[in-house]
Amino acid sequence: MKSAPTLSRVFLEPAGNYLPGPLLELRKQKGIALVDMPLPTRKTENWKYSVRHLKLSDELAVALPSRGKKGTSLSTAGYRVVFRNGVMVPEASDFPDLNGIRIQRFCDLDDHAAAALAERLNNTLNSQTVQMAQLNSARFEDGLFIQLDKETVLDQPLFIIHEVTASSVGSAYPRIYVDAARHSQMTLVEEYISSGSEPVMVNTVTEFVLAEGARITSVRLTLEGESVQHIGATGVRQATASRFESHCVGFGGPLRRHDLQLRLEGEGAECKLNGVVVTQGKQHYDNHTSIEHIAAHCNSEETYRNIAAGQSHAIFNGRIHIHQDAQKSNANMSNKNLLLSTGAEIDTKPELEIYADDVKCAHGATIGQLNKTSLFYLVSRGVGRREANTLLTIAFINELVEQIPVEAVREAVQLRLNDFFNQTFQVA
Amino acid sequence: MLNIKNLHASVEGEEILKGINLEIKAGEIHAIMGPNGSGKSTLSQVLAGSENFEVTEGEVTFNGENLLDLKTEERAREGVFLAFQYPVEIPGVSNLQFLRTAVNSMRGHRGEPEMNAAEFMKHAREVSIQVDLDPAFLKRGVNEGFSGGEKKRNEILQALLLQPKLAILDETDSGLDIDALHVVSDGVNALRAKDRAILMVTHYQRLLNHIVPDYVHVLADGKIVKSGGRELAYELEERGYGWLNVKDKEAEAS
Repeated sequence: MKSAPTLSRVFLEPAGNYLPGPLLELRKQKGIALVDMPLPTRKTENWKYSVRHLKLSDELAVALPSRGKKGTSLSTAGYRVVFRNGVMVPEASDFPDLNGIRIQRFCDLDDHAAAALAERLNNTLNSQTVQMAQLNSARFEDGLFIQLDKETVLDQPLFIIHEVTASSVGSAYPRIYVDAARHSQMTLVEEYISSGSEPVMVNTVTEFVLAEGARITSVRLTLEGESVQHIGATGVRQATASRFESHCVGFGGPLRRHDLQLRLEGEGAECKLNGVVVTQGKQHYDNHTSIEHIAAHCNSEETYRNIAAGQSHAIFNGRIHIHQDAQKSNANMSNKNLLLSTGAEIDTKPELEIYADDVKCAHGATIGQLNKTSLFYLVSRGVGRREANTLLTIAFINELVEQIPVEAVREAVQLRLNDFFNQTFQVA
Repeated sequence: MLNIKNLHASVEGEEILKGINLEIKAGEIHAIMGPNGSGKSTLSQVLAGSENFEVTEGEVTFNGENLLDLKTEERAREGVFLAFQYPVEIPGVSNLQFLRTAVNSMRGHRGEPEMNAAEFMKHAREVSIQVDLDPAFLKRGVNEGFSGGEKKRNEILQALLLQPKLAILDETDSGLDIDALHVVSDGVNALRAKDRAILMVTHYQRLLNHIVPDYVHVLADGKIVKSGGRELAYELEERGYGWLNVKDKEAEAS
């Protein structure tokens, strides 16, 4: 019998030693734990659609240089932190000293703070189901540690621009940790972009820990180029009456994978997850979400929409797990999909596990095509066919895009969607 | 302007139009009446370029051009406008964005500069007040959540914005109360011009009290069986379709 493929050991060799001691030690331990880690295969349920797009040649293991050519960012407004290939670029970053918020790069932490952080990292995600993203913990070179003191409200969104420079083959491991104390609030925009066209992998982990009454809005934009494999995971833990709102917008690529995992651990916690994915050509996008209703009286509201054109493939796997003590849980999950060509594929899979008896849990999934009557109506007014198709396609996701709470991001996303579908329908 | 000769059209192999002949000149208003199922809506849709129907025989020229050779959007840009019997709801596309895109497509076709958002907004507000539609509707999705009457007024709003050469009104009076009927008729009458033709398709005569046609045609079983002046409409109102030896499927059903 052929033995299962394992992760090549070259992937477990970090490049620099700029991190403080405790984080270096954490990274080393994680590296040891991942030796001979089995890679997902077609039989691995949570990777079955994506494994053939996962290309881990040894040369990809090389850490990309921490300096490189600048990519083009969408966003402008608000406070800004730039990471290039997983390492912070202070001179491109701009955020003021504010009372009640500390934004520090991992490399700048003293041993005491680093030891405290090392204790807290890797406590939000289920390592069994985010197997590939675990690599991040064995390889991160830097990271951003954001601490909001109690009742601190950040007055503007904080943008984290993750650039990857694909001018040489290699990989990058951006890392974010957000600690939101009681009743603090912030909006965080994570934007993943790239320059260059060599094959690279971005392997990224973001963790949020929300204390009682904290409110976090997270916007995540996956905008990297055609040579970038993106494997990302976001882990969230929520205490009593906290609220987490997520807006993920993903443009396809050779491999795009995002695992979003939430744990509603305190009574009255709530989350709202919106997701939009668009793919064309031979692109591939795989979203896996998991919401654990652990405490009673929690609400979750999840709405994901995929649009696939050409020969592309989009996947939505949404898991809701309502634990035995999570009475009066209220969970809603909706996944609607639009197929723009006969060659495109969309797979959608709701997974509901309910162990409490007094809960409301609803889910729905649909797959459809553009409505011909609507198209006729638009073109009968002189609107060009390509423009009409683009209008109707964007209409399918507009409701979600409109909800992105940062105007500059919303407008930039709308423009980009317009360009994307103009291209789709030009080919068609 | 419009010349239809021996037009045959079918849907899924079933022939609906069985040899229509009709000539409409600039400045004229024609009404096509007929019982349900006679092919009135099919004729409107075929002229606008719906792909649901197949033209199997005959020809249609529009200002000398072969209309049937043109795609739907090209027909619209040449000046053909169809006010839909059942306007389509398109959530997610704002009415304003849709209307501006349409108007600018037309302007681009005529070699005129595009209207910017502010200019267009002002113009669209004026016209929407003209058809008694709250300008707030411009910001909603296309026909989204509009009542039947609001949808019909939105169709007339579009006609007024697009200024077509030939406006085809498919059962524009259906589902309107008497006030809405006045508003819609005033809108249509505002479209009357010596270089524009209007083709009204209707089941009932009442619209014709407000928009007086020059010619009335009776369509039955895919053919025009009688043509006349406006007095023909009154005659139909009094006598129904029976004297023409035409079956009214709706009357039979009720």
